[in-house]
Amino acid sequence: MEKFMKGKKIDVQAFTLYFGGIIILLAFTIICKINGKDFFSVQNIMNIIQQSAIIGITGIGASIVILTGGIDLSVGSVIAFVGISGGLLLKAGVPLPITIIACLIIGMLIGLFNGYFVSVGKVPAFIVTLGSMQIFRGFTKVLTDGKPVSGFEDSLAALTSGKVFGIPALVYYVFILYAIMIFVTLKTKFGRRLYAIGGNPNAAKLSGVKIRKIEISAYAIAGLFFAIGGICLLSRLSYADPNAGSGYEMDAIAATVLGGIALSGGKGKVGNTLVGALVLGILKCGLQILNVATYWQTVIIGVVIILAVYADKANDRKAE
Amino acid sequence: MSDRILQMEGISKSFFGVQVLKNAQLEVRKGEVHVLLGENGAGKSTMIKILSGAYKREEGKIYLNGEELPILTPKEVIDKGISVIYQEFNLNPHVSIWENIFMGKEFTKHGIIDSSKSKSEAKKYMELIGLDCEPDLLVGNLSIAQKQMVEIAKAISMDVKVLVLDEPTASITDKETERLFSIVRELKAKGIGIIYISHRMSELFEIGDRCSVMRDGEYIDTVELSKTSVEELTKMMVGRSVSFERYQNKALDTKSEVLKVENLNYKKLLKNVSFHLHKGEILGMSGLVGAGRTELAKCIIGAYTKSSGTVYLNGNEYSNASICKSIDHGIVYLSEDRKDEGLVLMHSLKDNIALPNLSLFGKFMLSKSKMECTAKESVEKLMIKAHSTDIQAKNLSGGNQQKVVIAKWLLTNAQIFIFDEPTRGIDVGARDEIYQIMGKLVKEGKSIIMISSDIPEIQKMCDRVLVLKDGEITADVKNTTELTQEKILSYALTGGK
Repeated sequence: MEKFMKGKKIDVQAFTLYFGGIIILLAFTIICKINGKDFFSVQNIMNIIQQSAIIGITGIGASIVILTGGIDLSVGSVIAFVGISGGLLLKAGVPLPITIIACLIIGMLIGLFNGYFVSVGKVPAFIVTLGSMQIFRGFTKVLTDGKPVSGFEDSLAALTSGKVFGIPALVYYVFILYAIMIFVTLKTKFGRRLYAIGGNPNAAKLSGVKIRKIEISAYAIAGLFFAIGGICLLSRLSYADPNAGSGYEMDAIAATVLGGIALSGGKGKVGNTLVGALVLGILKCGLQILNVATYWQTVIIGVVIILAVYADKANDRKAE
Repeated sequence: MSDRILQMEGISKSFFGVQVLKNAQLEVRKGEVHVLLGENGAGKSTMIKILSGAYKREEGKIYLNGEELPILTPKEVIDKGISVIYQEFNLNPHVSIWENIFMGKEFTKHGIIDSSKSKSEAKKYMELIGLDCEPDLLVGNLSIAQKQMVEIAKAISMDVKVLVLDEPTASITDKETERLFSIVRELKAKGIGIIYISHRMSELFEIGDRCSVMRDGEYIDTVELSKTSVEELTKMMVGRSVSFERYQNKALDTKSEVLKVENLNYKKLLKNVSFHLHKGEILGMSGLVGAGRTELAKCIIGAYTKSSGTVYLNGNEYSNASICKSIDHGIVYLSEDRKDEGLVLMHSLKDNIALPNLSLFGKFMLSKSKMECTAKESVEKLMIKAHSTDIQAKNLSGGNQQKVVIAKWLLTNAQIFIFDEPTRGIDVGARDEIYQIMGKLVKEGKSIIMISSDIPEIQKMCDRVLVLKDGEITADVKNTTELTQEKILSYALTGGK
């Protein structure tokens, strides 16, 4: 059997992703030109980046959990819960840096909660995080009786929109966070173990990998990234909405899947999730510019996700 | 010949440009047990998968009862009367026996499944092959041998003409094997053609009529089993002869005890197990499947928590065992189940070797080049056949996968190796290499426990033999020429009484 693998396999996933992304980009450019609009306007590019940034950040969390073979649906609820908590803390006069730290801790605690029930409690990840999605969405509404919190100082908004060399701070955050997590997943023991338990938990366990520790850490890290996403959203909107973030779980998972991380775990690269998030951002903005009705936008994005994975599986189909 | 039921000729197939079958052929007669023999990677399974429709052939023809078959889907092949029973069964464990037997062709009455008729029909087929239990039982609760019988019943219910059995005795006991053979003989009498794949030479001669040998994707020859010998078949398989001599261990140091187990109990599976292991020793552990050998190994390394008892390593008590701690203390376990417990199949050879040894490659940041370098050394040292260290473990043959498992544990610098069925499903050539690696290990002063169901292998390699029966040690004897296969078997079956 070893004879089959003479040459290095082409990375089909990466190829599909980049190729698909470029095609979508080209298509929008051309269609916009025909309609007399400029797809590459500064404002539009900023828009795409802003759209993609939070999907990208939460996508890191989703990717880490999916690499272990799990899933985390609590993304949107954590975003909302963190947003409202942060908003209330700021309103109570707590300084911004301390509020941020508190929010990050909240996110991690929710992740630990998920991780504990998944890893120690052996409850399927889908169920645990479906539950915590409900729980924290509920808490969010309990906290403010369903009302939004607003009226923050400018320093909050400056957190993401403040510019360095003309580029909003949010963009730097995305790149820094990705750089860190690409390093962690590919170059550290923790990262290799993450892949191993996603690839085959039994073999990993017998190889001395402490499954619980790694798995719970993965959920905690995911919670941390969802919280970062929540803070960024709060800052961008300067407005804490208890309904914020709904649908983000799907965006984060979609970016992960578009980026080629296998839902079964153990396979894929976190870095590609960023490209997945960008593709989603381009799609969303492009469709907006072309004045496609929101309902149709949702349909189109759904189709693109299925098509991307379908193209990706071409090799599996051919192998028969 | 008129009694020819299946004929495959000129079969060729390649994957990614590499030819794995070259003009291969196979001919099965009615009422014959036709053994398909060859080393792992010789092309047997590809041949079977082409027959079953799982793979599409590129060239060649298949005739069933003289009728040429076009390229068919797996479902169509089954409808034609060709059934394959793989090692990993194709059953749904969550539903009953009868539902499995009639899956996809249920008896219905006004569009509703007629369960009473289905059950009585299922019972009929089950009685036919001597599967003595209720058709209502969940398949998940059956033993491996019983599941196998369900598969056979399923095949018969579909009016099977050609039945393929892939390593059917790999994980069933000797008694169950006898029963399987009597079923096979009955099927034979019905005129069914049986293709039988196995590595166990002794049983081939017991059950087989003719044998086709394959090597490197090519057909070598077909011989009457009554007119050939193990040596001759082995020669055809590997193209050279393999030695069956006993291993002479000169490294054994009976004065130093590296491992001692006292009164170990685990649930109801292990009862007051005590034994010791010397430095440089190869200690065989024999017994039937389910005797508690794997459980014993897993208790020692801390994968299972023992109920009571003490383990000593180099004279010191080893308590609160865990897998990590065991690796640190130099005692490692090589699972009998390479695919599920030994390797991360979807990951590269390099990553698999590195997994238990990550600390070797950097405190915080792992060095890719160091990993690559180490993996290359392992590949050379153990003669692993792989073109690159980036090859996915699933694309290696069984023997090479086992070598990767050995490589990853060698790197941990362990002193005690527990090999669980190290040569299961591995061809003769690679087996010899694995024995050689074991020899090298003891020469370096390491100690080995070898759990094996293959008694000749225990006789060949071990200094001393432990036999387990129902969780108890029934024999702890030196391996001399007086220790015959029959003796070991009697310890395993009856405790030697």
